[in-house]
Amino acid sequence: MRLDWGRRYLMCPPEHFGVLYEINPWMHREVPVDLDRARDEWERLRATVESAGAHVEVLDPRPGLPDLVFTANAGLVEGDRFVPSRFRHPQRQPEVAHDAAWFSSHGFVITPLPEDVHHEGAGDALPFGGVLLSGYRFRSDAASHTVLSKLLGLPVRSLELVDPRLYHLDLTFCPLDDRRAIVAPSGWDAYGRQVVEALVPEPLVLDDDEALSFCANSVVVGTTVIMPVCPARVGRLLEGWGFEVVESPVDEFLKAGGGCRCLTLALDVRLA
Amino acid sequence: MPVELVELEGHIIDSLIFAKVLDVILAAGGDYRVVDVEIGKTNTDVSTARLEVSAPDDAALASLLEALQVHGANRVTVVDATLEPCAGDGVLPAAFYSTTNLPTQVRVGERWVDVENAEMDCALVVDDDGRAHTVPMHRVRRGDRVVVGGDGVRVQAPERPRGANPFEFMASEVSSEKPKGLLVAEVAARIRRARAGGGRLLAVTGPAVVHTGAAPDLARLVREGWVDVLFSGNGFATHDIESNVLGTSLGVSIREGVPTEGGHANHLRVINEVRRRGSIAAAVEDGFVRGGVMYECVKRRVPFVLGGSLRDDGPLPDVITDVVAAADAMRALVPGVTVALMLASTLHAIATGNLLPAGVETYCVDINQAVVTKLADRGSHQALGIVTDVGLFLRELAAALCP
Repeated sequence: MRLDWGRRYLMCPPEHFGVLYEINPWMHREVPVDLDRARDEWERLRATVESAGAHVEVLDPRPGLPDLVFTANAGLVEGDRFVPSRFRHPQRQPEVAHDAAWFSSHGFVITPLPEDVHHEGAGDALPFGGVLLSGYRFRSDAASHTVLSKLLGLPVRSLELVDPRLYHLDLTFCPLDDRRAIVAPSGWDAYGRQVVEALVPEPLVLDDDEALSFCANSVVVGTTVIMPVCPARVGRLLEGWGFEVVESPVDEFLKAGGGCRCLTLALDVRLA
Repeated sequence: MPVELVELEGHIIDSLIFAKVLDVILAAGGDYRVVDVEIGKTNTDVSTARLEVSAPDDAALASLLEALQVHGANRVTVVDATLEPCAGDGVLPAAFYSTTNLPTQVRVGERWVDVENAEMDCALVVDDDGRAHTVPMHRVRRGDRVVVGGDGVRVQAPERPRGANPFEFMASEVSSEKPKGLLVAEVAARIRRARAGGGRLLAVTGPAVVHTGAAPDLARLVREGWVDVLFSGNGFATHDIESNVLGTSLGVSIREGVPTEGGHANHLRVINEVRRRGSIAAAVEDGFVRGGVMYECVKRRVPFVLGGSLRDDGPLPDVITDVVAAADAMRALVPGVTVALMLASTLHAIATGNLLPAGVETYCVDINQAVVTKLADRGSHQALGIVTDVGLFLRELAAALCP
């Protein structure tokens, strides 16, 4: 059965995007971002998502908030509730007020996390098999999972992330339908691997190189899987399962450690 | 080992976080005790677990707690103990915490501090420098900061080693129907072990030690250095001296076991002569006392406390007749004691039991099972009772330790 979410997304154009600080191993301030190319890549991604059958809402960009483009990290959507992120790094914390204002003005109930935990929204939490799978260590706290579970009345499975290059869960895990997911076990500790093994009946297991191409950071719209670049083996497996792979290069955004999924936030997730 | 309580909450079973946390503790060289686990009933219910985490030292525990925090295991917030100053000398605040004889810690300045001298039925006083110790009621002074209520105090439950051997399970076990020879051999082995570890042996003696003819065996143990401290009363010391000076114990010939002519006053005459000389030590020095347990104590400089009681004759000049002062004198000699032998003594044994930390191996030897039970009932749960004639016990113990 296909995913029952992923038909409505929030995106933010890269007007003020750039690598202005370094908070993951991909970011290097000395590597310049080509803003024109970034705009083209973003527009193309938006068009690809829409032509796959999804609706895209747009969040206004803000000067001084270069990572606002990565809307996946804005927070967590659950039905009509929105849980704004509590960012680990102070550089991203000013994004929260802007994100919350958009959700508030679009009919969502803002459900804040307590101030003493960190959680980076859909970047570190994805629904699968009736539970919310959530990563911790680099950006989100394990303690935030308990808070989220109580706040939203959801079962949460915690996964410890171990590779700083794969610092968010959505770089290592991508739900495809109700039985299948793209998984990058090299990003998890042994306990996390067991948890996913028990949860996902048919995993598409990426090797290290495939994982580092960010192909788990895909946007899935029905049977369309949108990723920056598709390793041949992964493409064959996905096609064998009946998915259509569309490549949508986001090289400029990879300079900041973000792929296709990071640039989108699904607005139609409902678990509870 | 320093210990902290941590709590883990969430979908810790399905996420394998609980298993991971236990593994992390062991891998770091620490240990844990699961205090409680509550498993969520439905898919969405969270589970909680509380663990006592220990590590070899404070630094190791701190870094382990930091590692556990990453996995959501947080130290359970514990408040500092509440301290209240004493309003006057010898009077505690109304809600004072009353101690046990178990190892105890007090939370002061967000740290667990070991209580220095575990003793039951005392107050806990925290010094200005953050050290904590037990103080009996009559010894507190106005302004002493005393722990009130139970917050920020924790007591370490005695370990319960598994095993059928009564020595492995020191919980008011009474041994009236156990082979005595084996028990004595085991006590001797334990005394040797304690001594090898630098521990001190305390003997608490009643007059029956002399009446049963066992005083020479005890004297031998003192002479050969096995006894470090002696607590007793007027009766024991008097009969010990009487038996050495006049050959009787309460007028009865030690050799023949028959009352001697005018013997009923023998002990009074002996007390009188010691009083004439001013002290037992003086009576030893001038040759009036030439042998016995007290003689050996004086000669070997083994400290002793003779605590007085209402019915005492004399008493001997060394007897401390103010019972509070006597208890204080005993208290001062307790530090360092690791083995206590209660030998046919009821009142002094119980008084001593009150002063001893639970960690002191205590053997209560008495022909009367009720004495042993009484000691345990007064809170000295660590006491192992050996129901036997003290004369036979000491003879075998001396034979085992002084071959």
